[in-house]
Amino acid sequence: MSASWMQLFFQIFLLLVSCRHINTKTPGPTPTPLAPVSPLTTEVRSAVFKGESQTEKIELTNPVSLTLECTWAGNLNKPPNITGYWNKDGDEIENSHVTVQVENGQYNLKREFRIVNKENLGNYSCMFGNEAQIDFILTAPQIGEVRDKPVVSYTGDFTVILCKMEETKPKPLNWNWYRGNNTEKISINAQPERYEIKNEGWTTKLKIYNLSDADSGLYYCEAAYAISTTMSPVKLKVITFWEPLKPFIAILIEVIVLVAAILLYERSQSKKNSVAETGTNADHTNTLTQGENSGSEGSSSMRQRKV
Amino acid sequence: MSPTPACELGYKPLDGGWGWMVVFGAHISIGFAYSTPKALSIFFKEIQEDLSASYSEIAWISSIMLAVMYAGGPVSSVLVGRFGSRPIVILGGLLCGVSMVTASFGDSIIYIYLCIGVIGGCGLSLNLNASLTIISKYFLVKRPLANGLAMAGSPVFLCFLAPLNQYLLATFGWRGSLLILGGLMLNCCVAGALMRPVIQPCKPSSGTPQKMVEEQPNKPNINLKQSCIKNSKNFLDLSFFKHRGFVIYLIGNMMFIFGAYAPIVFLPAYAINQGIEEYSAAYLLSIMGFVDMFVRPGTGLVASSRWIRPRIQYFFSFAMVFNGTCHLVCPLLNSHALLVAYAVLFGIGFGMVFALIFECLMDLMGNQRFPSAVGLVTIIECFPMLLGPPAADLPHHVICYLGDVLTVSLHILYPYKADHHISLVA
Repeated sequence: MSASWMQLFFQIFLLLVSCRHINTKTPGPTPTPLAPVSPLTTEVRSAVFKGESQTEKIELTNPVSLTLECTWAGNLNKPPNITGYWNKDGDEIENSHVTVQVENGQYNLKREFRIVNKENLGNYSCMFGNEAQIDFILTAPQIGEVRDKPVVSYTGDFTVILCKMEETKPKPLNWNWYRGNNTEKISINAQPERYEIKNEGWTTKLKIYNLSDADSGLYYCEAAYAISTTMSPVKLKVITFWEPLKPFIAILIEVIVLVAAILLYERSQSKKNSVAETGTNADHTNTLTQGENSGSEGSSSMRQRKV
Repeated sequence: MSPTPACELGYKPLDGGWGWMVVFGAHISIGFAYSTPKALSIFFKEIQEDLSASYSEIAWISSIMLAVMYAGGPVSSVLVGRFGSRPIVILGGLLCGVSMVTASFGDSIIYIYLCIGVIGGCGLSLNLNASLTIISKYFLVKRPLANGLAMAGSPVFLCFLAPLNQYLLATFGWRGSLLILGGLMLNCCVAGALMRPVIQPCKPSSGTPQKMVEEQPNKPNINLKQSCIKNSKNFLDLSFFKHRGFVIYLIGNMMFIFGAYAPIVFLPAYAINQGIEEYSAAYLLSIMGFVDMFVRPGTGLVASSRWIRPRIQYFFSFAMVFNGTCHLVCPLLNSHALLVAYAVLFGIGFGMVFALIFECLMDLMGNQRFPSAVGLVTIIECFPMLLGPPAADLPHHVICYLGDVLTVSLHILYPYKADHHISLVA
């Protein structure tokens, strides 16, 4: 009987030991290990609140550890303490409430943000109570020259759609093209005799051959950076050659009609004159010689001294 | 050989009546001639993208068109002398229309150079010369006013073509726009139809065959013209260079043109440099054009008056001095209001000079020699006009102001000299 009890104790003891062993081995609710990351560059951006609602635009290309700093001069009554907090895209960031004290008549609020991917970009606002707000809009470099007028081309012809990033901004890693509308975008790949994509650093060209009416619509060029992408729309309009031909033919008809009218009017005038002249031929000669006399006096058409 | 015309102006020009319709035709014709090279620049960006050309290659289109338009002067004057203005303007209009229509099908930049540059330029040169010549035939007493009204075509058409081109570009692309522009230029043919030929009955002078013919005023008679105007056989009548007034006019004009277009080219950039925003800077040129539109006929009206007409060369010099002084003051201006005032004054000066530029040549050379003279003047003016703006870019404002100052001083001198010369001869 004592041997079975001993066995039981021994088994329980083994069980306990192995459980603890398991306990120490299981990870448990510790934070997920960070993937090995190349050390992030650090950047600091600051803004001084000047009494109006203020917006700063920041363009980022690579993942950074960004410190945003806001300074507010306060309003007429400067309470010694004020609650400052941060918003991202209108939603309050957790645990960001800080009591800010007056320093040299100003309130300072600073926070470090890790911006590594697309989700981290957006509109960050530092709020001083409910009174002051500075917005930092974090984006990838935007394409400045957006073409507001459509590219117009003709059926059967080819066209080139150009997208350009300013050379003062960082060079995109890659360019992509899409077509579609706001909801759905279809990627365009180079196909022989149909689409040709030429990427040259800051510019990209999409050449479309053999256009047809179905090719009309919105095209998007996308500049890809390490952190995110930016898109820019370009509208393509494909028309038949008949469309400009209609006003051209209208103008042509108008020209022919006017020329004919003027020449006919002239002919009718000259007929009237010739009928009148045959009756007054003698008078005509007289007026002509009179005209010549007065002409030789001062109307040699040069150096008009006597008017 | 001193050109003693076989026929003096033996008839009294109409100075009214159908002459005003002729002025309207000349207005259209000159308007297209001066404004088309400038208005085409709106299409350049699109053409550049489609044909994969560089910006300088595209800019050559306008330069070639202007160069051919001015260089074609002597040819144009010979043709006008032989056939009269009407067929030449109609031919010019057809050439311009054809040039634009064929250019709309272009696939390479060289093709566009040939179509718009060469053929279009030829058409415009025919238009310009013929229109000026017919005005001199229809007007004498009111000729400055007629010239002012006709030359006003340039700013009017530029004002009208610029927004039209923008609209056409957005609706039809550059190809459709060139097609429609070609159609519009065919209206020069309508202008040509208005230019009823005037028959100059020959007053016989000793030694020339007697050919006193009385014809119905509207029936063209080519043989009569051939016997009347003998100088038209020479392409470039170098005897003009013996005429001192002409030489001074030519030198003064060359200096003026060298400096005149540079401020137009650089004004927007200068304004942006001074801190004016881009939209307002572009607006300055529109202000200048708008003022120009009214100043040209106004100057013509003033120059036709009893007090100014005998001293029209002095008035012309005054206009040039005014223009030059305006530009000299420009570097001192740095606020928006002052630059607007400068644009207004620039418009006034520019309008005054261009309203009188051909009137003074007519006054100097007379009806018979005017067509050949204007051909010679335009071909020589070709060079400073093309070289002016790029040269002004080099030491920036120095050269163009120098040009203006020289012009100013030369033009103060020349009326005295020209007057003196004529009084000796007469």
